Amino acid sequence: MMRRWWMIAFLAAQLWALPALALQLVATLPSLAALAKEVAGPHAAVESLLGPRQDPHYADARPNLILSLNRADLLVVNGLELEVGWLPGLVRQARNPRIQVGTAGYLDASTLVRRLQVPAKVDRAMGDIHPGGNPHFAWDPRAGASIAEALGRSLATLDPAHAADYQRNAAAVAARLRALAAEEARRFAALPAQSRQLLVYHDSLVYLIDWLGLKQIGTVEPRPGIPPDPAQLAKVVGLMRTTGAKLVVQEEYYPRTTSEQVAKLTAAKLLVLPAGARYAEGQRYDDFARGLARELYGALGGK
Amino acid sequence: MNADCLDNSDHRRAAPAPMRLASWFVALGLLLDAGAAVAQANDDQAVSAPADATPAELTAAELQALQAAAAQDSAASAPQLPVNPSSGSSNPSISLIFDGAAAGYSDSKPLQTGGHDPKRNGFNLQQLELHMASSVDPYLHFESNIVFGQFGVEVEEAYAESLALAHGLQIKAGQFLTAFGRINNSHPHSWNFVDQALMIGKFFGSEANRGLGVQAGWLTPLPWYTEIKLSATDAVGQCCARSWLGGSDLPVRRPNDVLYTLTAKSFVPIDDDWSLQLGVSGQEGPNASGNGNRSEVLAGDLYVRYRPAADPERRSLSLQVEHGVRARQLPGRSLVDHAGYAHLVGVFALRWEAGWRTDWTTGLADDPLDPQWTGQRTRHAAQLTFYPSHFSRLRLQASADLPSWRSEPIYGVVLALETLIGDHGAHNF
Repeated sequence: MMRRWWMIAFLAAQLWALPALALQLVATLPSLAALAKEVAGPHAAVESLLGPRQDPHYADARPNLILSLNRADLLVVNGLELEVGWLPGLVRQARNPRIQVGTAGYLDASTLVRRLQVPAKVDRAMGDIHPGGNPHFAWDPRAGASIAEALGRSLATLDPAHAADYQRNAAAVAARLRALAAEEARRFAALPAQSRQLLVYHDSLVYLIDWLGLKQIGTVEPRPGIPPDPAQLAKVVGLMRTTGAKLVVQEEYYPRTTSEQVAKLTAAKLLVLPAGARYAEGQRYDDFARGLARELYGALGGK
Repeated sequence: MNADCLDNSDHRRAAPAPMRLASWFVALGLLLDAGAAVAQANDDQAVSAPADATPAELTAAELQALQAAAAQDSAASAPQLPVNPSSGSSNPSISLIFDGAAAGYSDSKPLQTGGHDPKRNGFNLQQLELHMASSVDPYLHFESNIVFGQFGVEVEEAYAESLALAHGLQIKAGQFLTAFGRINNSHPHSWNFVDQALMIGKFFGSEANRGLGVQAGWLTPLPWYTEIKLSATDAVGQCCARSWLGGSDLPVRRPNDVLYTLTAKSFVPIDDDWSLQLGVSGQEGPNASGNGNRSEVLAGDLYVRYRPAADPERRSLSLQVEHGVRARQLPGRSLVDHAGYAHLVGVFALRWEAGWRTDWTTGLADDPLDPQWTGQRTRHAAQLTFYPSHFSRLRLQASADLPSWRSEPIYGVVLALETLIGDHGAHNF
């Protein structure tokens, strides 16, 4: 009798250990997961390690993420040290040779995009800066297009049986995103220069600003990652008044009190943008990007 | 750095550890070969099915010949080194952590157990930790912590860890803090309080339980995170294995003359905001009283954390509890005692953290390790921490130590500064 129970337990353990049938894709950010799902289509299961409301600078390295990484065939990371506070240890503990740095199963999205704000000199007195450049490119559909194309190539290598599907999907996604980027850039260019100015909370919207031809007059944080003090607030209120900017923008995972106060003092509007695609709720990357542009356009006074 | 630790390194040299270690390294080498073969097999699969989908069919014999050739070449050719993708450099990540404190105790000889605790009234250098880590090659990762005190240097940890073994296995070899419980294998830099938990100092010593040895970890195929770790480490050192061989120089003659540590840990993500981790640990090894006498420690740990994932203020509340029981065989008798701690730590605003910890231990009238520690001892501590950035912190801690064998409690106030420069890796949960 005892032996039979052991057999059942053994078989159950084997079932769990069986490799999954579909490719397993893991992305650190929901925006990257949304892109990966569109390129992979039905051939892969795609999971995002973080939710859209989580700040990727400060996520907890929860051990359940090790299980996802252990099963993954492809890991898509943002890179530029955005995930440095929690991801590297998890990848090591995942004991998965397929997704270690330098393998075909490790895709660093930052190697595929044009980087902005690459500092000439790095010193932590400047705050929380990223030595390789500003890591917040997941906002920009032009970067999204390049990442989609790279995902197509990676998936074709990992799963040659469906290579044609991946490459077709990637080309379609990239074309759609580039068209969206061009169309929105044209629409924003028609706005008067005066109303294309904005103040941001953290210096994380540079790619969005670059895409839509906007002008960032300053940041609420005195230096990246350093919360504002009264002197800094006085300075940015002064900046808002002299430039005539009427919009303060921040992501949902930053504190809002100071931004609200600045907006109130300068009769400006505060726009809180979603920090990532609502991938778990089925949102596609291009809907996310289009949504960002729509909200910004409305907030800048466009019709 | 303290005298205990210098003692320990001397004993290490005296013990015939190299023989024992050599056999472990051979075993590790075999396992790594197996891992490399698996990785190689995966590569071969990718190569044998190119993307253009019109491959000339290979016969089984041809495939085998190719695989044999590839296996032979792989021994000769240099592996492709993973590079640090962000900096474009293959330098190891290097960081230097400074911990210093100003302390005032109501007794000029406070009963602090930790090697890096502020122990005297006035200014204290707790430690200067030099951390270096890097991938060695596609199969191994290396970590080291070299700790400088005012008058010496110690190798706190220096180990290689496998990256590419199959079946959820991971091997660690070198000098490392054992995976016992939760706090034992963490560094002062990631502690929530300025000083060591009493349980660690009483059971293991001033530097927590560590040693030269090898550890195997198995990530079980259960649907929630469960990992089992088994290690064998040398049982010597007043600083690190005082319940076992401690400062004695008894030779290692048999496989069970080393310290075995078995740990199981499970993590349950209750939802996006709540986390629960449970662990049980056991240790068993020879003790210094000779005649085949053994000591063992059994402990359980619990960690509950609430952190609303979307909170812009990054607030959190964490409860951590560990309790252990130790049993020692001594000539003609056996001793059993208990120790544990519980702490509650809250991040209540951006940059601000506060915490409360209570330590408890029992004591024995005739304990050769702690002749003065004859009864119960309870210690309470409260801390308030300010983080100017995540590279520095200023921590104020007040404590009341209540040893039952003394008529007066010992009160203490410590103000500690920590700074971190360089590139320091992520911490475990």
